[in-house]
Amino acid sequence: MTNFEEECARKGLVARDIKNAIIVNFWILAWAVTLGAVSYLSDYQWYTASWWASSAGLLVHLSVGIGMILAFKRFVKEADDLERKIQLDALAISVGLTVVTFSSYSILEMSAVVPELTAAYLIVVMSMGYALGLIIGRIRFR
Amino acid sequence: MKNKLKVLRAERDWTQADLALQLEVSRQTVNAIEKGKFDPSLPLAFKASRLFKMHIEDIFQDEAEM
Repeated sequence: MTNFEEECARKGLVARDIKNAIIVNFWILAWAVTLGAVSYLSDYQWYTASWWASSAGLLVHLSVGIGMILAFKRFVKEADDLERKIQLDALAISVGLTVVTFSSYSILEMSAVVPELTAAYLIVVMSMGYALGLIIGRIRFR
Repeated sequence: MKNKLKVLRAERDWTQADLALQLEVSRQTVNAIEKGKFDPSLPLAFKASRLFKMHIEDIFQDEAEM
């Protein structure tokens, strides 16, 4: 048993899950960096005017995004029973909260009570719903 | 679902962490199963059955049948 596995066992954690979670975090970080980089480059005329440059930027961002999805899928698939349940519950809360929030928001938007909906809010609501779901799961099965 | 994990573990003088290590799950998972907060998957139930050398139904009991 390696030092890492011993440390995980001492804390009552599964080394495989921790390794997979670190890999997922790496992909999320890489995805965020490519998103930031592509958004930053979009402010420059040379980038938006060049077909190959903007296509390459989009391709890199998409490729890293697919890598992130596959890493998360692997994490959920290989996670121990309880962790998988917590993750799936959190994802259900995230999707449900996003659908309900955005359907309600679109009603308010039609009556011009609130400003126009932007895609950035979607990621924020989904992330907050997911984080909320994880907290609820951790507390529930503590 | 009820289970005898806590009793079987105590008979062998294992901690939750010891059992978790052998079942390749977290200590929290063992704790949640023992407290009846969470039902294990079939593969995990089979793993417990192999570990304790007992039939699954001797470790886990459906409360509806009790």
